[in-house]
Amino acid sequence: MKIFKLPDLGEGLQEAEIVEWQVQVGDSVGADQPLVTVETDKAVVDVPAPRSGQIAKLYAAVGEIVEVGKPLVEFTDGDDVRSDAGTVVGSVEAGDARIAEKPAALARGKTGIKATPAVRALARRLDVDLTIVSPSGRDSVITKADVERVAKRLAELGPPELLRGPRRTMAQKMAQARSEVAPATIVDDADIHDWAVDTNHTVRLVRAIEAGCVAEPSLNAWFDGYSLGRRLLQKIDVAIAVDTTDGLFVPVLRDVGNRDDDDLRRGLETLKADARARRIPPAEMRAYTITLSNFGMIGGRYAAPVVVPPTVAILGAGRVRDAVVAVDGAATVRRIMPLSLTFDHRAVTGGEAGRFLAAAIESLESS
Amino acid sequence: MPEVTLVEAVNTALARAMGTDENVVVLGEDVGVNGGVFRATAGLQERFGEARVIDTPLAENLIAGTAVGMAAHGLKPIAEIQFMGFIYPALDQLLSHASRLRTRTRGRLTCPLVLRAPFGGGIHAPEHHSESTEALFAHIPGLRVVIPSSPARAYGLLLASIHDPDPVVFLEPKRIYRIVKQDVADDGHALPLDVCFVLRSGTDVTLVTWGAMTHETIQAADALSSAGISAEVIDVATIKPLDIETILESVEKTGRCVIVHEAARSGGWGAEISAQIMERGLLSLLAPVQRVTGYDTVMPLFRLEDRYMPSVDRIVQAAHATLGFE
Amino acid sequence: MTVSFKFDSLQYLDTDGAVVFEPLPEWANDAAILIPLYRTMVETRAFDAKAVALQRTGQLGTYASSLGQEAIGVATASVMTADDVLLPTYREYGAQFWRGTTMAEILLYWGGDERGSDYAGPRGDFPISVPIATHACHAVGVAYAMKLRQQPHAAVCFVGDGATSKGDFYEAINAAGVWRLPVVFVVTNNQWAISVPVSKQTAAETLAHKSVAAGIAGRRVDGNDCLAMKQAATEAIDNARNGRGPTLLEALTYRMSDHTTADDASRYRSAEEVDAHRLQDPIDRLRRYMESRGLWADAEEQELHDATAQRVEQQVKVYLDTPAPAPQTMFDHLYATLPRAFDAQRQAVIEEK
Repeated sequence: MKIFKLPDLGEGLQEAEIVEWQVQVGDSVGADQPLVTVETDKAVVDVPAPRSGQIAKLYAAVGEIVEVGKPLVEFTDGDDVRSDAGTVVGSVEAGDARIAEKPAALARGKTGIKATPAVRALARRLDVDLTIVSPSGRDSVITKADVERVAKRLAELGPPELLRGPRRTMAQKMAQARSEVAPATIVDDADIHDWAVDTNHTVRLVRAIEAGCVAEPSLNAWFDGYSLGRRLLQKIDVAIAVDTTDGLFVPVLRDVGNRDDDDLRRGLETLKADARARRIPPAEMRAYTITLSNFGMIGGRYAAPVVVPPTVAILGAGRVRDAVVAVDGAATVRRIMPLSLTFDHRAVTGGEAGRFLAAAIESLESS
Repeated sequence: MPEVTLVEAVNTALARAMGTDENVVVLGEDVGVNGGVFRATAGLQERFGEARVIDTPLAENLIAGTAVGMAAHGLKPIAEIQFMGFIYPALDQLLSHASRLRTRTRGRLTCPLVLRAPFGGGIHAPEHHSESTEALFAHIPGLRVVIPSSPARAYGLLLASIHDPDPVVFLEPKRIYRIVKQDVADDGHALPLDVCFVLRSGTDVTLVTWGAMTHETIQAADALSSAGISAEVIDVATIKPLDIETILESVEKTGRCVIVHEAARSGGWGAEISAQIMERGLLSLLAPVQRVTGYDTVMPLFRLEDRYMPSVDRIVQAAHATLGFE
Repeated sequence: MTVSFKFDSLQYLDTDGAVVFEPLPEWANDAAILIPLYRTMVETRAFDAKAVALQRTGQLGTYASSLGQEAIGVATASVMTADDVLLPTYREYGAQFWRGTTMAEILLYWGGDERGSDYAGPRGDFPISVPIATHACHAVGVAYAMKLRQQPHAAVCFVGDGATSKGDFYEAINAAGVWRLPVVFVVTNNQWAISVPVSKQTAAETLAHKSVAAGIAGRRVDGNDCLAMKQAATEAIDNARNGRGPTLLEALTYRMSDHTTADDASRYRSAEEVDAHRLQDPIDRLRRYMESRGLWADAEEQELHDATAQRVEQQVKVYLDTPAPAPQTMFDHLYATLPRAFDAQRQAVIEEK
């Protein structure tokens, strides 16, 4: 309440005289605290504050008579309209929040493996990965028998060999590549018939990559799939895939654009020797911008090699062969190098890839 | 040793309790001169007098409320509601007062009453006389709900309920009031409350039930046994507070559970038992818990009664369903 | 053929405290009888005002005021013995205080604490009853126990005017009648059941008339006349105690307050109507009577006022100083011994932060 009126003092008394104010304007009072002393016909009584609050106004002076029900004291806040509690017990909170609900549907989740909790617990106990268990139950439910069957098979096979070192790294990187990259592949052939006999294939391939990068810089880039951003890189650092008995190594030939052929050749020799001797520091297998996989030295023609993020392209060279091709309308035998360019289509267009490959082939086919 | 029916066992227990403790009184409609419409209180008024075996006016709410007042003021009233179908006016007194008198006075006032009512279907009775709504009472905190399934358990559990210092709703399955006789010594020996009774040992599937359905369930166990399936049969007896430990121990062994109750399916007490088995026995389960129950319909009049009530066949099929799950 | 019954209302004092009916009861001049009645009414009112103030300042939950009805409970309780049993609704603080229930206990109850109903004083009295009229059946049970044991005790059950519409009430007075039980049903007719006036509650000419249907004695009394109330209660309880059966005693009064602190009675009744009933205040009336007999004066009034204020403050302090119980106590007294089935829940409550 804002205005406190002189309350009923009992005994049918209708008025009282102000004897003494216990508070002044501006005072803060607590509930039940004496506000004013008044005198009636019968007695001198203290009138307590009905609420806590700050005094804004006193309605009578000492010695004045106030009638029951007339204003006595005004508080600085409050209102005199008794708001409807809207209940007879407790308190039903009212809020101002507005809600606007849109109808929702059940979320589409993935349908996973079907197995009862008991079967799942059994699989855990027997160390069986449910993803490798073929369900034999109705509705593709994995049964207890299924789990036991697989456990038995695995026991016969013995524990798996845990991947280490480069094989482990390869498994992890390829899995990452698989989950992130949108690969597309173009294949073509380069006519290297006119190469000199002692031509260093790898150096020529590196130069071809350089030519491609010059023609289409977007293949020499790092792509960030999370922010959807790419960085076009000035330097061309080519990762060279090296096959060893321990697995795949990918040492990096740095800054090929600013090195001459001899330098490149020496660099490659060093890389290969170091790779075979397991001497390459980890730093030298990181931060490359594009990859070369010369798998043709082992075998194979065309491939769709894996693009490892954050790079966006990998050039694969297959086994050089003599092939019958058309030259000036006539069939003839030429030395042919098959090429496969796999690119991350999130960052590179087909046109860019095509032009890259054309430039690479032009570089390879030049004398 | 006398061979008695279930309702006779009730009568014997009442007489024993009244003979032992002068504070025990019986009240209800037609319980005095008539001895109760099912004769559960036969002979009591002759023996113990009108003041202690009271024919009340026709008012179920009054019967329960009077029992609350009597219990709070030192008597041990055993109120009879003639049929579960007429118990609902008394629900207010049970829920609003009997179940909470002790806690709301912090133990100063207590309510050691027993409210007995015949319940369940199967006697081709007119409308409203075949109810099984034990779940309504089991839901009330502070109440005990006890359901005997044999003469011996009726005697022992009723005595226990009378001795118990808290309110008990004692539901008597009237279909089996007279169907079998059993040796029951009138030795004043009470059976334990809050525990299940294992009626039959088994290893392949656990059958959980109470009341009149124990008969069908035992028959189902027999049928399963002929098919080489060993069923363990558990009589819950005290519906609330539930002895889930016994049930869990059984399910841990068998991995399969069928709950049988006459009451309607949804929100029936089988749902509570199933939920508790899921919470604490999930990894033992080889199949989902089955419930064989009355349907979610109003109990039909007696021409369809037999189709409503769970049959031996339905129980057997449910057991097979758990066995054939995988 | 129509039959009519007449129930006169007993009244000794008019609103000014002047005697309008004689002879007065023999104790009507006895200060030793009158002053305790007066004091307890004054205490009840002071407590009541304080309780409302506490609710308005957020220190008490919903509270049902007894303003204006003090004489009914106090006068009736003054006739009861320690062995009798009181079954109140929620406006009989006067009766409860007379019988030893404390202000702090009542505050604890409305403050949301069950310990408020664990009365240290009257161990057999029933606690405040909220589901309307349901305790009328309890009174039947209590009275039956008393009769069975052949004890010269009585159960005294208070109900309101609204309660007399309820099945429990009819069932209770009916049973009390047919079993001839030592129970008195005091119907506090304060004219209002929340917003429903008595005129909309029943077509019965008076609430006392309902006694006819039950075949029990019926009586009407001016509930704001402390002398009349005490006299009527004396006769009724005496009859009950001595095997002369139950009584339905309709005590007329007026609910000066809102139904509860959450109710706003101005929604359904006028301020003028409420004001008019101020004249019938039971406390004023008894004081004027006592003063006219030279049994009370200003000095005593002031002294009582001071002592009462002090007592109320002391009791409020007891209440406010009582810390909330530990949460696991909600499992205490659920049963005599907590069944194992609920141990885990109790433990979970203890462990929850």
